[in-house]
Amino acid sequence: MTSLRRFLTRLFNSLTRREQDERLREEIEEHIALQTEENLRRGLSPIEARRQAMLRFGGVEAMKQDYRAERGLPLIENLLHDVRFALRLLRKSPSFTAVAILTLAMGIGANAAIFTLVRGVLLKPLVNRDEDRLIYIRQSAPGMRDENTTFSVPEIQDLHASVKSLSAFGDFSTISFTVIGLGEPREANAGVVSGSYFDVMGLHPVLGRLVGPQDDGPKAAGVVVLTYRFWSNTLKRDPSVIGRTVHLGGLGDRSATIIGVLEPCVPYPQDTEIIANVVTSPHHLSATMVTGRVHRMTELFARLAPGSTLEQARAELRSVYATMKKDHPDAYSKQADFQISAKLLRDQITSGARTVLLLLLAASALVFIIACSNVANLILARTVRREGELAVRTALGASRGALRRMLLAESLLLCGAGATVSVMGAQPMVAILARYASRFSVRALDLTVDSSLLWVGTALAIVAAVILAFVPRLPSADTSNGLSLSSGSVRITGGTSRRQRIFVVMQIAASFVLLAGASMLITTLITLQRTRTGLDTRHVLAINAPAMSYGKTHQQVVDFYREVIRRVEALPGVNKTAFGMIAPWRDSGSGPRLQFSADGHIRAPGEEDPRAQFRVISPGFFAALGVPIIAGRDFNELDGQSKETVAIISETLAQRMFPNQDPINRHVYWTDPVLKVTGGQTAEPLQRIIGVAADIDDIHVVPEPTLTIYHTFEQGPLFRGRLFIHTSADPYSLVTPVTRIIRDMSADQPVEHAATLEDIRAEVLTPDRLNSLVFGVFASVALSIAVVGVAGVLAFLNLASGWRLDRSRSVS
Amino acid sequence: MKQKVDVLQGTLALMVLKTLDVLGPLHGYGIARRIEQISGDVLAVNQGTLYPVLLKLEQEGAIASEWGASENNRKARFYRLTREGRKQLQVETQDWEQTAAIVGRFFEIKAEDLT
Repeated sequence: MTSLRRFLTRLFNSLTRREQDERLREEIEEHIALQTEENLRRGLSPIEARRQAMLRFGGVEAMKQDYRAERGLPLIENLLHDVRFALRLLRKSPSFTAVAILTLAMGIGANAAIFTLVRGVLLKPLVNRDEDRLIYIRQSAPGMRDENTTFSVPEIQDLHASVKSLSAFGDFSTISFTVIGLGEPREANAGVVSGSYFDVMGLHPVLGRLVGPQDDGPKAAGVVVLTYRFWSNTLKRDPSVIGRTVHLGGLGDRSATIIGVLEPCVPYPQDTEIIANVVTSPHHLSATMVTGRVHRMTELFARLAPGSTLEQARAELRSVYATMKKDHPDAYSKQADFQISAKLLRDQITSGARTVLLLLLAASALVFIIACSNVANLILARTVRREGELAVRTALGASRGALRRMLLAESLLLCGAGATVSVMGAQPMVAILARYASRFSVRALDLTVDSSLLWVGTALAIVAAVILAFVPRLPSADTSNGLSLSSGSVRITGGTSRRQRIFVVMQIAASFVLLAGASMLITTLITLQRTRTGLDTRHVLAINAPAMSYGKTHQQVVDFYREVIRRVEALPGVNKTAFGMIAPWRDSGSGPRLQFSADGHIRAPGEEDPRAQFRVISPGFFAALGVPIIAGRDFNELDGQSKETVAIISETLAQRMFPNQDPINRHVYWTDPVLKVTGGQTAEPLQRIIGVAADIDDIHVVPEPTLTIYHTFEQGPLFRGRLFIHTSADPYSLVTPVTRIIRDMSADQPVEHAATLEDIRAEVLTPDRLNSLVFGVFASVALSIAVVGVAGVLAFLNLASGWRLDRSRSVS
Repeated sequence: MKQKVDVLQGTLALMVLKTLDVLGPLHGYGIARRIEQISGDVLAVNQGTLYPVLLKLEQEGAIASEWGASENNRKARFYRLTREGRKQLQVETQDWEQTAAIVGRFFEIKAEDLT
């Protein structure tokens, strides 16, 4: 009861402060007057009488503080008082304030933005139900430099039958469909899944339903689920698409009904637009797919069975897998070194981004340190100027605590303002960073700015404020060691300049670390960009025009492309046009690498056949890309009419298989077990070499020696399909006429993603460019902060030593 | 110069209450002087420290204050004991006497008394 009353009185007193102060002042005056009178009566001189009275009364300032502490709510009141005082001080030195706030804003903003990113990508759980029991299983073959071989149907069946610690399996294979019936004809990245997939993934529809067990098997109707991103970005969230029928073309042609839209979720392993059931892909129902153990194209997900742990599942998977390998030695070559691994899906998804994000976090932490050091230095410099003020305050009875509080109020104000500025600027920063990070993890695509940004900003501001408030030395009771009033106004104590030196060294060191990192990345980037690819990248336009084989004979498709090439070559400015299977770099990884051999090649014991890229091209391909044919000749139209199959090989392959020999008219042949099952695609096993072309590495941005075997599209199978147009005019001016030519011939033919090879390469290099950009920006921010800070401190030190000189001169 | 004893905050409040109880309404200076006189100047308050104590007591409701005229006709603030203050004084006097008695007994004890 008493304490409540005291609190209320205190609250009231806080509000009527001025009046209260007046009362105290009058009381003190009265007290001293009475004491003085009495002293006078005792015969003291008037001056002495008053002096004695004052002495008797004691420290007025200290008493006033005690009194105030009793009276109001000291914490809040003092804080308000300190903040008001700090505001006044900061207003008096606007340039210091502006520099400090901006510096802190950069430090805090960078950290808050990066932290939001780290949280969104690495820390937040996935939307999938019970995501901590959702497992991703991967097969890899380090010996083949293949880190994800995926699984074949027989392999999945074996695992399904034997592994008990996993309760359910979901499979997903990526395939590209030509989709007709949803806007422009397009080549869409699609997933083909079995009925258990969505249940294993723990995902729900936002509209309609998902693929379920009733959609399995060859008799089911074709159904398609749209991913949320595709539905909202391309279809503008049109709810009427449910129930619409689309045609899925490519190697086959099926119609399918759109049955639902998937909730927003992390697309893995690939960002697909549609997900369909197995029946939509005739290939998935073929014997090749169902019985071919080496026909691997399916990603595998699973749920931990109740009660089992990831470790148990791993152990069981490994033992079942070992048995599998023993039972089918043909399918798992020793040299390829097949392995199986299992991870939480979340860990798998974030693995690519982890290093980059942690590096970024480290970089931003460095910026924060630099920013704090810098402001600390500025504050130190100011404190030295304020030594006099602080000493006077101490002498007047201000406690060390009160002084700290004052400094804390000041740094809180600075940091608060910095945090506010940074949070305001963080939203666009996060947007930019998210786009950047999405190169490493698809999770970043769905990143939103939430309150965590605010919390991190606030927390950092408080941390910075506390550090900064404890940077300046306070005048200590032991005057020989601290600041002293006697020295007049300014004196730099040893401790202060030592601290300053530490901060300067810290800043410069941190900015050098960042600079070194950035310059390394930039050097790498420059090397990458300067690397010669061997292709005439600037003058070649690549356009996706995938083969539409269904319902046509091979010859009809070839004739279609021939006619397209003929018509495009008739356009002004076009030098050469050709058909190729994939666009360099952009479509890398999708071309098969198969085992082959050559006549006269003898395997060493235990060695396996080498692997080569399998490419199907039209005559003129090398000319269109500006790649020289070193020996022999190019394909021509007559090759299609002869029974004999012919091939062109890359220079490196020629050197490796036919060292110091003439490869022309020798033979190569495919030996890969995949082809034994697939059968038929390369009818003649022996291919006569008619030419040798310079290497084209269409996979790595920095070319490596490449083994490639080219087939003419008259003889080879047709899938994918890109047009390469060599022109001396502006390549992009050809996009419209070429599109019109192709559409005139076939209205359903997708014609997409036109870009010069140079731009495709740039696109592939974007992550590198962004890396150097982001780190470069960090480094230059850090450097500019450090330069401003060091310059400021130097200027101040000169000023101070100037003062010292002045004083010594005046003494002498 | 005599070594003066520092006054504990708590006992100072008690002395203030007792002074006001005995002498009736007084201003701050008067209270300070009285305490010094009674203690024979052995106990010298740093007179300023009295005011926070007065304020605390007033906030607790033990004393009340109002402006009045001092002996030389200056404006002064007079403090008087309230009813609540009188009660508080009684309680605290008892407490004090009890404490003093206990401490006193400890001083009187000799070693042989404890055997």
